[in-house]
Amino acid sequence: MLGPGLSLEQAPPFSVPLRFFLTAPLFLIAAGLGAALFPDWTAAPLIPATLALTHLLTLGFLGMAMLGAMSQMLPVVAGAPLPGVRGVAWVSHLGLLLGTPLLALGLYGGQTVWLAVGSILLGLGLLVFLGAVGLALMRAQASDTTQAMRLAAFTLVVTLFLGLGMASWLIGFWMPETPLDWLASHVLWGLGGWVGILVMGSAWQVVPMLQLTPPYPPRLTRWLWRAMLLALPLATLPPGPWNRAGQWLAALALIAFAVTTLRLQGQRKRKLADVTLDFWRVGMVCLIAAALLAIGHSLQALPEAGILLAGLLFLIGFAVSVVTGMLYKIVPFLAWFHLQARAGFKPGQPNMRDYLPEARARGQFRLHLAALLCLLAAPFLPPLALPGGLLLSASAAWLGWNLRRAVRLYQQAGAAVNSNRGMSLSFRF
Amino acid sequence: MNREVLVDGRGLLPPEPMERVLMALDLLRPGQHVRFLLHREPYPLYGILENRGYTHHAHLLPEGDYEILIKPRVISR
Repeated sequence: MLGPGLSLEQAPPFSVPLRFFLTAPLFLIAAGLGAALFPDWTAAPLIPATLALTHLLTLGFLGMAMLGAMSQMLPVVAGAPLPGVRGVAWVSHLGLLLGTPLLALGLYGGQTVWLAVGSILLGLGLLVFLGAVGLALMRAQASDTTQAMRLAAFTLVVTLFLGLGMASWLIGFWMPETPLDWLASHVLWGLGGWVGILVMGSAWQVVPMLQLTPPYPPRLTRWLWRAMLLALPLATLPPGPWNRAGQWLAALALIAFAVTTLRLQGQRKRKLADVTLDFWRVGMVCLIAAALLAIGHSLQALPEAGILLAGLLFLIGFAVSVVTGMLYKIVPFLAWFHLQARAGFKPGQPNMRDYLPEARARGQFRLHLAALLCLLAAPFLPPLALPGGLLLSASAAWLGWNLRRAVRLYQQAGAAVNSNRGMSLSFRF
Repeated sequence: MNREVLVDGRGLLPPEPMERVLMALDLLRPGQHVRFLLHREPYPLYGILENRGYTHHAHLLPEGDYEILIKPRVISR
């Protein structure tokens, strides 16, 4: 059951979030293969291979999954359906699907044509999505989750324009005075802002609901999004005490969120084994470690291996883990819900466990953990990039297979429902 | 025959409470009603109950759980 303010009647068609969720693992497979085949990424954070792989992860996997989740969550959690949701999903999905590999190619090889085409496609896709999100959020019911969604959408706008600015610099349109400050702001708003705030705002709803924990303390959720609202602009100021205070505030807010999540998960009402919980626990521990490294870096610059470690902890340890955990909850739940709705909530339909048996998700979790450990060590032991990348690809392929299996069961059971009613089954992507 | 069918969904993961209560409603005999206990108020269930011809009354219990009494709607002419 869902909680106050949650309404499934406003949910978009299943095909809307599903196209994003099913495409996301393909980019994680690509990122893993890239990490195995081009191990020079282990040498430094600002070389072409590292930049290309980072964008396959952030835009291809995380971006896809988060756009899909947002298209589902805004109407259900905030009572704010995206206007023209089918068209918006089609355009923004296509923009990410085509733009991400082209941008990664352009960043790796330095070809300005791929950089330009990739940036234009990504810019168009994301701006269409953000425009619809902006219109929806103007009508949203007020809550801390809604405020976090507003802030996350705004941080994605800032990240996008900073990214487009840097792409146009690489293409040769202009020359920023301090390119490293641009880059630092792009990373801060993209990871701390878009990824961090969206995960926090979503967690306030989905962790108590799907992991049966006590609710997050309202005083904390009110403080967290306000702290991020203050921290991000401060941390964008030129280097100095205010900039450092902003970085610390953002890191401390993320640590407070992660520690609270771990504490609430320890207070669950029923302590059943749940692979989602394990993904989230790994994610929270990695988030704390990444935030502590960021604080350390602001005091004394870390060596390049340390910066790579912080990035890997945040991106793969935290973001990929929690997004995978959520996909394992969202996709089976939506398959169950949409099939039940079509069958008129009559008995005889598959239950949640039929869509995703725990053992399959558990096996993939172990593979993800093995990939994570190899990749975290790779900046210090570069030969580990090969097994780490291959394990990440294999883990992502298994994730994609598990999600597709759930969708196949939905289609098969849906076909049976429709044949009973003399209808044909079709997905309208 | 018991007039009341108890469905205790407290501490179950979604959507198991909804599955259980809908199954109980399908097996309901004339004169019976469902007493549904849950750790939070099941807003999405209400629309489904309305569409399927049931009425519901929800109460917050002292320990913080919800009790929802669900009965077939009586059609009066």
